Amino acid sequence: MDHCQLKGRPPFPFETIALVVTFSVSLSPLLSEAKHLADAFKAQLILISIDEQTPDRQTRLHQTCQKTGIGKEVRVIWPGGDPIVSLLGICKENMIDLLVLGALRRETALRYYLGSVARGLSRRAKCSLLLMTEPKIGGSTFGRIVTDCVDHRKTIPTLNTSFYFARLTGCHEMHIVKQVDQTGLAMAMSGDSTTGEQSAVKTQLFNDAEDAIREAIGHCQAGDIEVVKTVLLGRPGFMIRKYAEDCRANLLVINSPDSRYGLIDRIFPHDMEYILKQLPCNVLIVHSRFTNDT
Amino acid sequence: MVKLSQNDLVILLVAISIMLIFSRIASELGKRVGMPMVMGELIVGVALGPTIFGTITPHAYTTLFPFTENAHFSLALDAILSLSVILLLFITGLELRFSLFLRHGKTALSTGLGSMALPFGSAFILAWFFPHWFFEVKDGPTHLLFSLFLGTAMSISALPVIARILLDMKLLKTEIGAVIIASAVFNDVVGWISFSFILSLVNKNTGGGSVLQNLVFIAVFAIFMLVVGRFVLNRSLPWIQTKLSWPGGVLAFSLSLCLLCAAFTEFIHIHAILGAFIAGLAIGDSVYFREEAREIMHQFVTNFFAPLFFVSIGLKVNFIEHFDPLVVMIVLLLAFGGKVIGAGIGARLGGMSSRRSLAVGFGLNARGAMEMILGSLAYDAGLINQAVFVALIIMALVTSITSAPLMRFFLDEKN
Repeated sequence: MDHCQLKGRPPFPFETIALVVTFSVSLSPLLSEAKHLADAFKAQLILISIDEQTPDRQTRLHQTCQKTGIGKEVRVIWPGGDPIVSLLGICKENMIDLLVLGALRRETALRYYLGSVARGLSRRAKCSLLLMTEPKIGGSTFGRIVTDCVDHRKTIPTLNTSFYFARLTGCHEMHIVKQVDQTGLAMAMSGDSTTGEQSAVKTQLFNDAEDAIREAIGHCQAGDIEVVKTVLLGRPGFMIRKYAEDCRANLLVINSPDSRYGLIDRIFPHDMEYILKQLPCNVLIVHSRFTNDT
Repeated sequence: MVKLSQNDLVILLVAISIMLIFSRIASELGKRVGMPMVMGELIVGVALGPTIFGTITPHAYTTLFPFTENAHFSLALDAILSLSVILLLFITGLELRFSLFLRHGKTALSTGLGSMALPFGSAFILAWFFPHWFFEVKDGPTHLLFSLFLGTAMSISALPVIARILLDMKLLKTEIGAVIIASAVFNDVVGWISFSFILSLVNKNTGGGSVLQNLVFIAVFAIFMLVVGRFVLNRSLPWIQTKLSWPGGVLAFSLSLCLLCAAFTEFIHIHAILGAFIAGLAIGDSVYFREEAREIMHQFVTNFFAPLFFVSIGLKVNFIEHFDPLVVMIVLLLAFGGKVIGAGIGARLGGMSSRRSLAVGFGLNARGAMEMILGSLAYDAGLINQAVFVALIIMALVTSITSAPLMRFFLDEKN
């Protein structure tokens, strides 16, 4: 496998989708979701089991695949070893475009700080990740999608991936959200600002954010999907999580992190960590692979 | 209970009113010419203090500010000023979020480290090898502490001034603004904790613990508040803000926590400012602490307690009598050289262009109110003499005034 092919490869279309298989109650719904997504995106499907390979498990997986309509042509990989390291390697080897995993909405404090497979991969993966909080037999609907429009070069590819996902999964409402962090504002304006100046500064911030959303959408192919532009004032990550919960979104789409998040990021959470702390709905983390020339 | 007499109370109230009225007038006038608010307050202090008012009409001065003649007045004003500095550090902590520093990764890390290491190192070395320049005695009892203090004083930044400058330059929400803010957060968190440690060593002679003991106390307290304290706050703040009256409930809770933490750190012979600062960090970091509450807290402290504190700086010493051009020059050179070069190198290593790196350096160079608080506390603790105190105040003013134009110069593509 030529790993150089991965560099600069756009985050969509999803040509190869992999599902992380775990032998829990969500096995059947997750297989169903994966089948549904692979059909929608006309993608090749790969199953990766991070549990130890045993005859019982092989039989159970085979039977569940049959029930959910997954054919024998679908490749099953049993890597063994450290789950995160193995999954990262397999994703790279097989040029996976989208890795689908089941994830709990909220984990216990200990598990959160020590890190689960889903959360661990979210912080490190080199391909896009779909964390499914409530997988359903027959496949979830993605009617309402919320996408983060942060100031970052990854954002336009993420928005385009989000619209691509929306078009092929029957989404009817796309919320593009810009979060404005107010850090330093209260301190900067507490002494010698009139109320007029204070409201003017806030209005300006709001207008700038709206302009940024408009500009970003201008670079995307929205098609017929209804776009809702939203500006949120507050802590990035936390605000969009609340927003996704409040508007009962089916999917939250965000950029992949620039650097690997560690324990210190969990102790002093920021951005994506607020989302991983408590998933508001299904979460798609889009990984854009940039080369030095892009 | 000892009470203030009617006369003492009248003088105290008149003195406070005069400090507030004149500092507000000076701030409003200063605002029209783009002068930082704190500068207006300091000028009022110098005008009302021994430098001008005390020299022109000594009798009227001692009647209005009877520091030496009236112990009750002195004690009452000292209590108010102590409360002021505690609350100032509390609101500083409220605005500092360590996660901001983590968020901006490599550039913030290298800039933050550079903007601390070089100013600290250069000032420490100078104070250690040439203590006589600052009227210190080599190998004297405060030689090491003074060197540590000067290093810390040079490495600290003033987030309020920096935030205001960035806001006025419309840079607050840009990448360069974010790096400056994130680095200032790092400077201030490390700087104030270091300064508290230095003050705790000064207190050693008055019952404080050993160096190791103080270090352990500071580390345990900070970790406890930022991990356990934050965990509890994240669970209690939503309840407080929805079930108790607004904003009374959250204000009372936050201020009580601030004062409790300040009392605790003072009790363990580490200065009260550390408790207030860490309490601010813990509360301000909570996503459940509403922005309106933060604004109210800032307004309350910045418009009542801050003017009193900054005016009082001018009341402490005669600025003309203790103005030493050589000390002022050295302090200014150390401040500009260490911060601009250190932060500049850090930003450059973090991937910024040379001009933008210099702009970051000058942005972080603004010391403003924080340096004045630091200098004032060090002076009160007997760590620095009047000449160094005056030099630090002048440095705080010069760096704050020059920060914006120099940043603008280096960010202007035409230059």
